[in-house]
Amino acid sequence: MTLLRTAAQKRSALVLVSLAILVLVAVWKPYALIEGAQRGGLYALIALPMALILGIVGIINLAHGEFMMLGAYFAYWMFRGAGMDPLVAMIPAIVVFGLLGVVTYTLTIRRALKAPELNQLLLTFGLAMMAAQFANLMWTSQPFKPSLMYVYSSMRLGRLSFGTYAFVYDAAAIVLLVGLLLFLRKTRLGQAALAVGQNPRGAKLVGIDVNRTYLVIFTISIALVGAIGAMFLTRHSVFPSVGSPYTMKSFCLIAMAGIGNLTGIVWGGFALGVAEALVMSFRGYGGWADVVFFAVLVAVIMVRSFRIRRQTA
Amino acid sequence: MRTSRYIPYAIGAVVAVVFPFLSGVYTQQIATTTLLYLALAVTWDMILRSGQLSFGTSGFFGLGSYAAVLLFLRAGIDPLLTIVLGGAFAGVVALLVGLAVLRLRGMYFAIVTLASASIFAVVVRNIPQLTGGPEGMMLPSVIFGGDPGKTYWVALAVGALAVIASELSERSRVRLALTSIRNDERVAKSSGINVFWYLVFVFTLASAIQGIAGGAYAHVYGFVSPEGSFHLNFLLLPLAMALLGGIHTTWGPVIGALALGVLGEYLKLQIPYGHLLVYGGIIVIVTLFLPQGVVGAFRARVRQWQASRGVQ
Repeated sequence: MTLLRTAAQKRSALVLVSLAILVLVAVWKPYALIEGAQRGGLYALIALPMALILGIVGIINLAHGEFMMLGAYFAYWMFRGAGMDPLVAMIPAIVVFGLLGVVTYTLTIRRALKAPELNQLLLTFGLAMMAAQFANLMWTSQPFKPSLMYVYSSMRLGRLSFGTYAFVYDAAAIVLLVGLLLFLRKTRLGQAALAVGQNPRGAKLVGIDVNRTYLVIFTISIALVGAIGAMFLTRHSVFPSVGSPYTMKSFCLIAMAGIGNLTGIVWGGFALGVAEALVMSFRGYGGWADVVFFAVLVAVIMVRSFRIRRQTA
Repeated sequence: MRTSRYIPYAIGAVVAVVFPFLSGVYTQQIATTTLLYLALAVTWDMILRSGQLSFGTSGFFGLGSYAAVLLFLRAGIDPLLTIVLGGAFAGVVALLVGLAVLRLRGMYFAIVTLASASIFAVVVRNIPQLTGGPEGMMLPSVIFGGDPGKTYWVALAVGALAVIASELSERSRVRLALTSIRNDERVAKSSGINVFWYLVFVFTLASAIQGIAGGAYAHVYGFVSPEGSFHLNFLLLPLAMALLGGIHTTWGPVIGALALGVLGEYLKLQIPYGHLLVYGGIIVIVTLFLPQGVVGAFRARVRQWQASRGVQ
């Protein structure tokens, strides 16, 4: 019990500290807070499906960002070919990328489930390279972006004037988080998936079809990230290597929150987004913003390895 | 009997050394690039033999490139010496990364090394006073004035260094230690192997050689840039080469590098954009269907054939 209580105290202390920092940032650099919240929403949104695969199938999908990149290309060609708004293109993207997920799972991932972790990493790295090079071959490295008027919507708040459209990423991240939590806790399939994630052998013993659960979770994740790619396109250009930084950043968020902690990913995305925006707000040091995620990742790993050493000592 | 075993190696070495006298300039250039990739492939495999997957090849390659070029331009040190010093610098950075990250292994190590190339590139881009920033730097002249034969020998030396380091670690206690770590770390630890230090040692050594390859590459082509020197190709190609040839040996990656070096040149001419798709495909197919690589599969087939014929 005391352990639980100290954990709860620790958590509330953490919340208080982060709230204090937020207030400080809001007063000191309000634009960094707004920009950071918008970036962070996107980071969290993209990281959630990856966390789903890692938590339940137990595979780090290094091709995660590349699937998002393909989703953005899909939305771009729907826009060019059929005049479809990228936000509407999310619906066909879910179908198409769901199919792509099924194909990818049955052809590759399923065969590597029993393989050592390193083989799985190599496999998804190979898939990522194939996806990026495929895009390069088909559409060259030229960036594409549809021109959409509504992304420039803005509002005034006192003396602050800022773009409002990008908050759609925050809204989507929260909707996706709530949706995933409801799915995992309330539906039979979601509960089965959680059980498989905790212990595949135990789940099999109580009669859950583990392979089918893996297939469903992988498919859902790829379908989601394809649709997120379409959403990504509304504000960002798409080119073959646009996805890979998001793979890295998603993994950073998952490692920071701890595997299985979906809520933590959204908080982490928000915090790191604000941290990045804060670094960018210093004139001349904006280029260093890309290091924020990696610095956090290395710090998290150092803390964890320190804990391991203390436990084993 | 013992000496005859070394005859093929000796013939190979002689052919490799006299190669510039037998071939044209274009072939020598392909051979130079192939040998540098070969060094990356062999050293990547050296780390893999300890059961750790490093995606840091392109990062340490780029660090070596930059260190060598900076020492040459800013300090005026002899190009050949700067290649070695560039490797040493990459090795020191690898040592620090290894000390920080190798306590947690597996996916954490793999991801941090994967991130390393982008971190190094960001750092290099953001200190323009020293590194020339996003545009990179041009060398006033390439090494040996661009003499294709001499540059080939430089690349050959780098390739040979990787092969020798790999063979030495294969034929010494290091191999036993690394193999046992790969097979079961707990058993390795309880047999008194200092797992952590062996891993740090092998990671540092292999990354230093990757840095040397980077320095040689920069001096051969005469420029460095954040995008070019840390390019993903310096990770993708060595991986495909080592996997195709067969991992956990010295000669698998060597054969893979030679085969893909030639094939890659052909593909580049056939499909200028996106020929790298083939390399991604090789990684996926080999990981799924030929975990021992082509050399390993061939060897297994030969052994099977010999067994069926009753040959000893």
